[in-house]
Amino acid sequence: MWLIFKKEILELLRDRKTLFFMIALPLLVFPLIFGGMFYFTGKAMTTSQTESLTYAVSGAQYAPELMAALESVDSLARIDLSGNLSDKDTVAGIISRNEVDFVLQIPNNFSNDVGQSGQITLKLVLNDAQLNSVQVRIQEVTDKIESMNQRNAFANLGVSESIQAAMLDPIIVQKVNLADAREQTGAIFGGLIPYFMFILCLQGAMLPAADIGAGEKERGTLETLLLSPIDRYKIVLAKFLTIATAGLTSALVTVISMGIWALVISVQMPMGPVVEFISAIDGFDFLLVFLMLIPVVATFASLLLALSIYARSFKEAQGYMSPLMIVVFLPIIVTLIPGIELKGVWAWIPLTNVALAIKELVKGTMDYVQLIAIFGSSVILAGALLGFCVYWFKQEKVLFR
Amino acid sequence: MIVIKELAKKFTVENPKKLSEQDKKDPRLDGRYFHSVKNVSLRCNKGQVLGLLGPNGAGKTTTLRMLSTALQPNSGSIMIGDIDVVADPVMARKKIGFLSGSTGLYGRLTGRENIEYFGRLNGMNEASIKAKINEIADQLDMHTFLDRRSENFSTGMKQKTSIARAVVHSPDVVVLDEPTTGLDIMAAKTVIDFIRDLKHKGIPVIFSTHHLDEVTELCDHISVIDHGLTSFDGPLADFVALSPNNLHEAFMRALHRSES
Repeated sequence: MWLIFKKEILELLRDRKTLFFMIALPLLVFPLIFGGMFYFTGKAMTTSQTESLTYAVSGAQYAPELMAALESVDSLARIDLSGNLSDKDTVAGIISRNEVDFVLQIPNNFSNDVGQSGQITLKLVLNDAQLNSVQVRIQEVTDKIESMNQRNAFANLGVSESIQAAMLDPIIVQKVNLADAREQTGAIFGGLIPYFMFILCLQGAMLPAADIGAGEKERGTLETLLLSPIDRYKIVLAKFLTIATAGLTSALVTVISMGIWALVISVQMPMGPVVEFISAIDGFDFLLVFLMLIPVVATFASLLLALSIYARSFKEAQGYMSPLMIVVFLPIIVTLIPGIELKGVWAWIPLTNVALAIKELVKGTMDYVQLIAIFGSSVILAGALLGFCVYWFKQEKVLFR
Repeated sequence: MIVIKELAKKFTVENPKKLSEQDKKDPRLDGRYFHSVKNVSLRCNKGQVLGLLGPNGAGKTTTLRMLSTALQPNSGSIMIGDIDVVADPVMARKKIGFLSGSTGLYGRLTGRENIEYFGRLNGMNEASIKAKINEIADQLDMHTFLDRRSENFSTGMKQKTSIARAVVHSPDVVVLDEPTTGLDIMAAKTVIDFIRDLKHKGIPVIFSTHHLDEVTELCDHISVIDHGLTSFDGPLADFVALSPNNLHEAFMRALHRSES
């Protein structure tokens, strides 16, 4: 059996396509994609907050303090335009011709005395299809004036500062959270870990599975192998181990690579909470997460091998395997739904229970007795599927379709 | 020695309605079953080369696949020496060197690695594998390409490597399914010489072919299969005697024996 296993691994390592999907893709391409997205999104956000914008104002004479505050912002440049800037069509024309980035319309009842003016609406006219944070930047200016006006209004009414605070925010709900940081973060991100790991294990195993089952059949090497004096169950076990090793390796390479890239990124960007969260998970729980992956990978390997043996060709095998991705996707997406916990029926659904158990391990709230039960049931499922593979591999109608 | 007696094999037809009109007329079709081999018997003694002839779809490959243990017969018996192939397939596989018609090689392994792999699967040690590879490579003129990856081999190189792979463990009997198909004249001659050498070593060889000139050059005994039945089984001289001046005519007469 080990002889066949070693040969299969040697062949996989010599296959550029498999190596690309198993090693290069997770090691370089995924981090480049995610890193690139992270970098460009961050850059776009920074640009939108610091980019110089031009604007025109109607009714500037009604709000001299506001205008002074706006003109003190370096990234905002006022441009005097002729025409009626209170007119909707005129303003629309100005914006569409890109004469300015936005037009601020100040009503004639604008006053710093809130008691006199009542609530005031400032209109910000712009083309908001682009990321430019205009409203946020204007709001920063108006918030200061608003706060000042509020304080003045209350002072005019003779209201003390403590009463002012109570009037503005009569009831405060203060949360006293007994969950530690790990449990809180784990509840949010814990479901994502099994989701990514399962998909990566399956994806990493798919190509080798199609190659060493249907691919061998297509190339005519399977029949030759069947004629060697090796029991067929040993051939199945060797192929099963190869697929499982490929799936697990692919997932581990991805995790390690993402970890390294996260560290690289954290040097330049604030990743404190993430690092704090990861360091809160002890080594034993990491080991248990890895152990829980083993029966999952074994289940995937058995399913993929059964499909691959049945298929006549590599292409046909890939056709059978693609829907498997959806079948696997459904039970693990459940773990991402808020409120779904490792209780009742969820503890008995294959893959879902392992995904929820990994989530609990990440949160640090796993009941280890229950974990043993889930591990045991997953091993039994994987074993049953492997048994089916052995039976399947002995069927002439499957091997010589 | 190989002895096959009253061998039969039927397959379930997955969807009989989808068969072509010509397939539906095949007398071997019986409802949901297709009797690929109905009754085949043959015998190949030590030092004998048996030529297995028959038109495409006659049941030659199914017969050879049963002999090689890839398929289980529905009835009949196959003996290699004193080993019952059906009862003890693992032991039988150690005794057979089999080259199927659809044989492939592991493209990402070199020719040598392909042969070594099957030597190890047959329980050989490193030293004897190395010695045997050198011996076969000399005979089949393989040294120039033995250490190249087989994905880039020509048809002739592939077939030579496949033959080497089939006989690396020094089998007691050799079964070759159309070993010269697709080969150029030089490569075909090397293969024919190799089969002749096996014969001289006393190893029984069964090989199926469509080349009647190879039959007269190599074979001592001829079996012709048609529609899953043995239509002719006898010495080469008896086969040739069916039409002494025209081997193709002899073949056609051997086929028509089953019809009569």
